[in-house]
Amino acid sequence: MLKVRIIPVLTFNGISLVKTKQFSNPRIVGNPIQAAKVYNSRNVDELVFVDINATKQNRKINLPVVKKVIDECFMPVTIGGGIKTLDDINNLLRIGADKVLIKTMALNNLNFIVEAVKYFGSQCISIAVDVIKHESARYIFDRNDNKILLEQFMNDINKCEVGEIILTSVNEDGMMQGYDLELINTVVNMTKVPVVSLGGAGKLSHFEELAARGYDGAYAAASIYHFTQYTPREVKLILKNSNIPVRL
Amino acid sequence: MIVIIDYGMGNIASVEKSIKNIGRDVIISNDINIISNASSIILPGVGSFKQGMENLIQRNLINVLTEEVIKKKKPFLGICLGMQLIMDKGYEPVETDGLGWIKGEVIPIENQKLPLPHLGWNNIYSNGVKEDNIDNNFFFIHSYHVTLNESVETTFVDYEFPIVASLKKDNIFATQFHPEKSQNAGLDLLNNFFTSHA
Repeated sequence: MLKVRIIPVLTFNGISLVKTKQFSNPRIVGNPIQAAKVYNSRNVDELVFVDINATKQNRKINLPVVKKVIDECFMPVTIGGGIKTLDDINNLLRIGADKVLIKTMALNNLNFIVEAVKYFGSQCISIAVDVIKHESARYIFDRNDNKILLEQFMNDINKCEVGEIILTSVNEDGMMQGYDLELINTVVNMTKVPVVSLGGAGKLSHFEELAARGYDGAYAAASIYHFTQYTPREVKLILKNSNIPVRL
Repeated sequence: MIVIIDYGMGNIASVEKSIKNIGRDVIISNDINIISNASSIILPGVGSFKQGMENLIQRNLINVLTEEVIKKKKPFLGICLGMQLIMDKGYEPVETDGLGWIKGEVIPIENQKLPLPHLGWNNIYSNGVKEDNIDNNFFFIHSYHVTLNESVETTFVDYEFPIVASLKKDNIFATQFHPEKSQNAGLDLLNNFFTSHA
């Protein structure tokens, strides 16, 4: 049986690991290579590593650092940040990335996503869907403040045959008060590709709440692993208790 | 020396890292002399079937691979796309001839409920014994799967229906999953393969 994937997320500012709250106020949380080593030893199912400043600072991701992170990992790794060209993707795959995570280019140039899928295959193209709730409407979080509706973006993405969606609730990011279940439900019902849920996990019960919805994709988190005593293994154990298939 | 075939289809570095981790000498190459002199051959790969075949053809690799694997019976490990390409034919994205070492085709997974691609950790089994533990869970990521038209040794994985997870025939061993991404279970499998062919 396919297992629910438990995925820690590392966000990088180009120098250190950081953890944001609602995509602002980055707090330094350590060294990426050390963190990757620890997660590998804990048998996490995958790792996501994103340089959250690369696009904003108009620079490429630091390939030597990324390579050192990947070298610590014998599980799949998704890398994101500043991807603009097919060469950028190829450079990441060549140093051992399994998937690349793309956001800005998906907003600016959907044809690029179509090209990337055609060349590298669906399986290695993941799209970051960062959603911010404003009054009752849901938009894609965008520093240029283009008000792209979630539904419109999902319609676009659904045409591209991407391999995976990493769905982040910007409102819940770093708040540790639970996933936005309504958002996850909405997005899962909008697409056939696997959805990774991210944003809000702060307690073990938050993972149980996701599982109780019967959703069996992937549960990602960052703050809980940085700021509490819980590890991905404890998340798996609590899920196994609820008869959710996990890899233990 | 084990050679990992470099034909521009991604994922090579992780395979190299795993082989080094199990203490074997390995080289990434598409040089015909190096391939001819290698002790065993790994064909990794992610991407589309058609692109994979085109890249092998462009780099003049079809003849040397067939010579070494089929005629000289060198140990061969195909991973993911590298498993699919040894079949007669694939359909991603259009009908394309494969290497044809194993009789069968590579067709889309057509499932009713579960998402595509088949992505994540899943347990493999043979002879209907479906144990599920950390030792037989491997990482899968694919939207196409192999259907066999000849009888070879196989393991399966369930994703609404049983999908071929690995196949073995003489010197050929191939996995739909990624042993190089499957932590200790994958490293053990690689070690067993190269130990049994040492």
